[in-house]
Amino acid sequence: MQQVLLSKRGWMLLLFLLYAAVTQVMAQGMTIKGKVTDASGAGLPGASVLLKGTSIASATDVDGNYVLNVQSGEGTLVVSYIGYLPQEVAINNRTTIDVTLQTDAKSLDEVVVVGYGTQRRADITGSVAVVDVADMKKVSTNDVGAMLQGRVSGVSVNTDGQPGAFPQVRIRGLGTFGNSDPLYVIDGVPITGVPRDFNPNDIESMQVLKDASAGAIYGSRAANGVVIITTRQGRKDTPLQVEYNGYYGIDQVWQKMPVTNRANYQILNNESRLRSGTKALAPANDPNNPRFVNNIDTDWQEEGLRTGNRQNHNINLSGGGVSSTYNISLDYFGNKGTYVGNGPTYERYTARVNSTLEKGIFKFGQSLFYARSDENGLVTADGVLAGGRPPLINDLVIAIPTMAVYDPANEGGFGGTLQEREDAISLNGIGYNSLIKSTTDVDRIFASGYGELQLLKRANHNLKYRLNLSHDVVTARDKTFIPTFNLGYFFPNAIARLNDNSRRYESSLIENTLNYEATLGRSSLAVLVGQMYQSENGVFKQGYAEGFTKPYYPVLSNGATSTSSGTEDAHVLSSYLGRVNYSFDDRYLLTATMRRDGSSRFSPVNRYGYFPSLALGWKLTNEAFFTVPKTIVSDLKLRASWGKLGNENIGNYRYLPAINSNVVYTFNNGERVLGGLQTSVVDESIKWEEKTTTNVGFDAVLFEGRVDFSAEYYHSKSEDVLVDIPIPASVGSVNANLLVNAGTLVNKGFEFTAGYNQTIGDFQFGISGNFTTLKNEVLSLGTNVNSRLGVGSITEIGGEVGRHYGWLVDGIFQSQEEIDNHAFQKPGTAPGDLKFRDISGPEGTPDGLIDTYDRTYLGSGIPKYNYGININASYKGFDLTIFASGKGGYLINSRLYRTLMHTGGDDNWHEDILDRWTSTNTDTNIPRLIWTDPNENGRDSNREGWLQDGTHLRINTVSLGYNFKPSFVKGINKARVYLTGQNLYTFQKYKGYNPDFTAGVFEPGFDNGSFPRPRTVMLGVQVGF
Amino acid sequence: MLMSSCDDKLEITNPNQQTADAYWATEAQAFAGITAVYNALVTDGTYQRTFPSFNDSRGDDMYGDSPAVYLELGGQFTLPTNAAETQWIWRDHYMLIFRANQVISSVGKMDASIIGDDAKRRILGQAYFLRGLAYYNLAITYKAVPVVTEPPVDKTQYYPATATEEELWNQIFSDLRNGEEMLPINYDNVVGPDRGQKGRATKGAAAGMLGKAYLYRKMYPQAEAQLAKFFTGPLQGIYSLVPNYRDNFTTTNENNAESLFEVQFSATGGSVGNWTGEPSANWRQFIALPVAYGMEGKAWSDYQPTQWIYNEYRQEKTVDNQVDPRLPATILYYNEAEGNTTAYGAPWTASLRDKIYPRKYTMEGLGVPFETPETGGMNYRVLRYADILLMYAEVLNELGRTAEAYPYIQQVRSRAKLPDLATVRPNMNQEQMRDQIAHERALEFAIEGQRIHDIIRWGWLYDPAKLAMLKEHDDDFNTWTPGNEYLPIPQSELDNNANLLPNPANK
Repeated sequence: MQQVLLSKRGWMLLLFLLYAAVTQVMAQGMTIKGKVTDASGAGLPGASVLLKGTSIASATDVDGNYVLNVQSGEGTLVVSYIGYLPQEVAINNRTTIDVTLQTDAKSLDEVVVVGYGTQRRADITGSVAVVDVADMKKVSTNDVGAMLQGRVSGVSVNTDGQPGAFPQVRIRGLGTFGNSDPLYVIDGVPITGVPRDFNPNDIESMQVLKDASAGAIYGSRAANGVVIITTRQGRKDTPLQVEYNGYYGIDQVWQKMPVTNRANYQILNNESRLRSGTKALAPANDPNNPRFVNNIDTDWQEEGLRTGNRQNHNINLSGGGVSSTYNISLDYFGNKGTYVGNGPTYERYTARVNSTLEKGIFKFGQSLFYARSDENGLVTADGVLAGGRPPLINDLVIAIPTMAVYDPANEGGFGGTLQEREDAISLNGIGYNSLIKSTTDVDRIFASGYGELQLLKRANHNLKYRLNLSHDVVTARDKTFIPTFNLGYFFPNAIARLNDNSRRYESSLIENTLNYEATLGRSSLAVLVGQMYQSENGVFKQGYAEGFTKPYYPVLSNGATSTSSGTEDAHVLSSYLGRVNYSFDDRYLLTATMRRDGSSRFSPVNRYGYFPSLALGWKLTNEAFFTVPKTIVSDLKLRASWGKLGNENIGNYRYLPAINSNVVYTFNNGERVLGGLQTSVVDESIKWEEKTTTNVGFDAVLFEGRVDFSAEYYHSKSEDVLVDIPIPASVGSVNANLLVNAGTLVNKGFEFTAGYNQTIGDFQFGISGNFTTLKNEVLSLGTNVNSRLGVGSITEIGGEVGRHYGWLVDGIFQSQEEIDNHAFQKPGTAPGDLKFRDISGPEGTPDGLIDTYDRTYLGSGIPKYNYGININASYKGFDLTIFASGKGGYLINSRLYRTLMHTGGDDNWHEDILDRWTSTNTDTNIPRLIWTDPNENGRDSNREGWLQDGTHLRINTVSLGYNFKPSFVKGINKARVYLTGQNLYTFQKYKGYNPDFTAGVFEPGFDNGSFPRPRTVMLGVQVGF
Repeated sequence: MLMSSCDDKLEITNPNQQTADAYWATEAQAFAGITAVYNALVTDGTYQRTFPSFNDSRGDDMYGDSPAVYLELGGQFTLPTNAAETQWIWRDHYMLIFRANQVISSVGKMDASIIGDDAKRRILGQAYFLRGLAYYNLAITYKAVPVVTEPPVDKTQYYPATATEEELWNQIFSDLRNGEEMLPINYDNVVGPDRGQKGRATKGAAAGMLGKAYLYRKMYPQAEAQLAKFFTGPLQGIYSLVPNYRDNFTTTNENNAESLFEVQFSATGGSVGNWTGEPSANWRQFIALPVAYGMEGKAWSDYQPTQWIYNEYRQEKTVDNQVDPRLPATILYYNEAEGNTTAYGAPWTASLRDKIYPRKYTMEGLGVPFETPETGGMNYRVLRYADILLMYAEVLNELGRTAEAYPYIQQVRSRAKLPDLATVRPNMNQEQMRDQIAHERALEFAIEGQRIHDIIRWGWLYDPAKLAMLKEHDDDFNTWTPGNEYLPIPQSELDNNANLLPNPANK
């Protein structure tokens, strides 16, 4: 074992040894080459070529060329491609076989990449979704996750409009309270975290493993689902192919919040203060005050949002020789955001070199990926500005109109308020984003390689050994420089500061697998056994300096004082895995897996987890009794699976109680003494979280492939869910949340996918869609915990995660008499205040007092369903794609809207407030303005606007392209131009920006201030040489 | 073989921190432990800002005037139960208790081979004192809270029930008594790393706090015996009033002869603000009161003194016919005749000349042009000898020994150069003397977080005449309703601990 577990330097050496070895071994069998084209003669990239009755398969390259190694010149090739009828061709000892496919066919014979191998789509028993990569790539984004939005049933994607943001991808709901990101496996390597720096143009195929059977081979990592990505490879015996893809587009925020102008703001603020009885008018708003402001009326959204842009340029070189292939891609992506100032912008350069070499029984493949990204963030530096600000987009919208954008009198040149003038705390977001510069630069090198050795190769028996190695290094530098400035009341900064931090993550993987395949009569069998070892290390350093003088040279050495700090981190996983695939007579299918994982994150007693699964499939159409004509039902498969998955996606060392030996106290006016003891408590007994999933479904292909349809039902139960539960502050722990195995969660739902294709002459048309329902229920939250509060939400046993929670409103008090006859609310309650319903008390019955006992559920924050629709049409050279997605059945608690509708305080207002209660406008559901808000009208409740219907339909993409004829320009064999509109419009009732915002686990319905997703119009070209 | 070698690599240790199991094995760790308890005194919810400022704003000497509305509502006795401020006060005091419990439990078990008896007693004495102080603060803030005296063994012990007031006060008495018994009078001659360190708890600190606790509970005979130790007992002559009243509230002359216990703050050193969170060696141990209290335009000006307390200082002149020196030390005001025409080294803003601001616990006059959030440097006085004097006077009066109270009060008045009380108001009866002591305490301790607790323990809120008077002093009292003189138990705490009871302020 020690030989295999070589040091990182050692395994690189091993790769090169393997590399050398493969060149010295003789080949066996024969190689078939050819080209797969459509009726017009254009090559079909990604088509599958399979030796019938075996699992020997290949796929075509970008030009439709394929290479397939077979044992002999006998047998039949099955050639298939999505949207085309499959074709069977006898080999007859030919080494070159070109195939022309006819459109309008749905095939189940595609090769699908599953964990540790490939499978025919028709033989899959688990829940595996294949993403249509060509369609997916029509979305312009910096990240892979956003491309999944609306594409796959059971996959929910939430994102916002900030360049460089990575979205939340949730497969089949929220299976855990902790990190719910799925596992991403790129070219067979499970990566740490999300593939932030990954270039979507490199994707060749993408699969989503949703149930326990499909994911079980990844055991400990698969509880949140698995996204398997393979990257583009060259083809053998193919001359150099050069492809260029590029686009340029502009981004514009198309939503505008209607906020009050200066005159209305002043009237409202005066009204609010006067009514309080104690708060004097702000001089800036008081017409009788010499400091009254009447010459400033800033439209902050107009001033603060600009036109952004995005561009992408990608060059792909691919080809191959007799025993080698290569694919090289170079890519640039740039996105300048829509907020005036330094950020957000995002730029990324990537390069990928994939190659394979083979000789005889040896095969070797390698992949080398480099990415460099520079992100200029839109940040709120909490440490500098007192008072914990909301996201900067909120600050822009809520800024008061009497504040100027620019003011040369202020250090830094930006406007701000004064306590003795506006008497309001209002942040100039434009100034803030222009003065403070915050960048994150990331370098990532991801190298992986494998060696494969064909140990046994007989007609009916095949045995392969494979060694997988990978090393992934990410280094990031986070730099924030804050100059001295004055942004007015509450926001002066007298000390220039620099944070210059570095992060380094390393992940190394070693895998040994043996793969045995056999065909015995009508049975076929595939067995996989393997071992995996993965180690991750992190090194984090923080440098801080302050007291810079002008002119600024912001490096750490130039601060008057500086400090540094740092930590290290390690994580190890050691696993054994096994899988059996068995099929009988192409009618009955069985998949069984077992995985044992050991994790360094648990104490020795709780270290190991065992994760089994079983799946069965039944191809009804292959039964003798199934007499429905194939022209009606071409294929019908029933499948069912059960399995258990694990989760250890928590921080490191969390089971170890630790001593903080840096608890400083200064005695004697300056003598700093370091103290030490346990400042935070831990639960030493934490163990694996387990998720058991049952999945039943069927796949049908009807009318000779014109219609395909899948439906499934899943039920998953997560137990011993690892969750940070809030513990009473009376424990005295600095960390107020204790990580424990506390929860039990159930997610269940239906998933439907359907497609329809039709060709009439030159006109082709296809529509596909998916629809998912989700029901979530919490069965347990741990000992002594019956509920857990989030932001305006509660998670309680018997309910779903993060239901909205607060008081019920029964209108507005119109008279003192009405107040006197109602349950007591607050001493200052007066006409114009909200009337809350007295529903309970300490004894469980209404007690004449409105207090915390009267809170109740106000609705769900989790979409009950989500869906996506994709329409493709083409006519001669033209192609059109329309893609839309949506969610529904949930309510949103919008921080931005609620801030804009405040009854007390000094922020600007939404124009809806103009209909507030006054003695002359009593027929309204918006309460009176009063600066002190004695009745707490701003509390969590179901008053109008506090919870808004999130149901929406987003028009994600409309794309129109034109393909030039191959002969259009000599030397160019493919040319397409296209115009794409992205995020054109969203049908929504929600009064915030994005109804598909990203949110915290325990407040899924709380939109803290997601950045508006811009409307993008872009023009692109695809050229192949 | 294959299995064992890979699985061996799963055993990794935390490279950043020692694990707790191996701790509490050396004398150095015992000293480090007690230092870490002091650290809990300097966060937002203890003495850095919120605890003192919420005490002040509830008194009739201060009121909130802040854009942060909860800072006003706290003073108006209408703080919502989910206000972060009450959560901070609760949280940070229990952090102190958790740490003190570790020291009491673990150092208590150390035998003589690890730690010398003197060092052990000193360390335990400090832990008892600090725990007693924390429970005292919790008791006067929340009325009744859970009493936890051992570090929890596991998560089943995280949900303590509310103790009775009786149990809570008995714990306070017991802790302070233990502290008094075990602590040295000072650290000048002790043997150990704490030698010469000012700012540590002393016998006098524990004895004085115990007297204060007895007084709060109206246990006058016990309070008399306790406080008498400063005049006729073992603590006689240890403490005295400093000549310059303002020396108690600035960065100069800290840990002076008048101070029984003060929390140490420093304007320099470190880079990470000590608001809250996991302490680090880079913590800057600043006090945030200066930026919270400083005047408009120079700081946040979250609170302002009431006109009543300003006027109260002007009731008597000094023997040399000057204004009471405690007025300009306590309040920043514009008055040309008295020579107050600048603030923070600059002329007063013309538009603000009719307004008054706190001066006590601000950096005004200490060479800064304005306050910055993380550079307040003065120590916070928890107990001053002036308080011992006035408490003793009060105890004597309550015990019917009214005439004996005069000299103790006069020591405090004389420092302010006020005339002899026995001459200007001779032969007061017990009731008159009560009012006189209330007046003296208001002037001596304005903006020191004392007034609301005096008002509560004197029962003024439930005496209609006194309540009417308070409403005149500070219209914040107009919104007081019975029970709301306490801060509400934090809502999150009630939500997370089913064994916890609400208090009257939760209504």
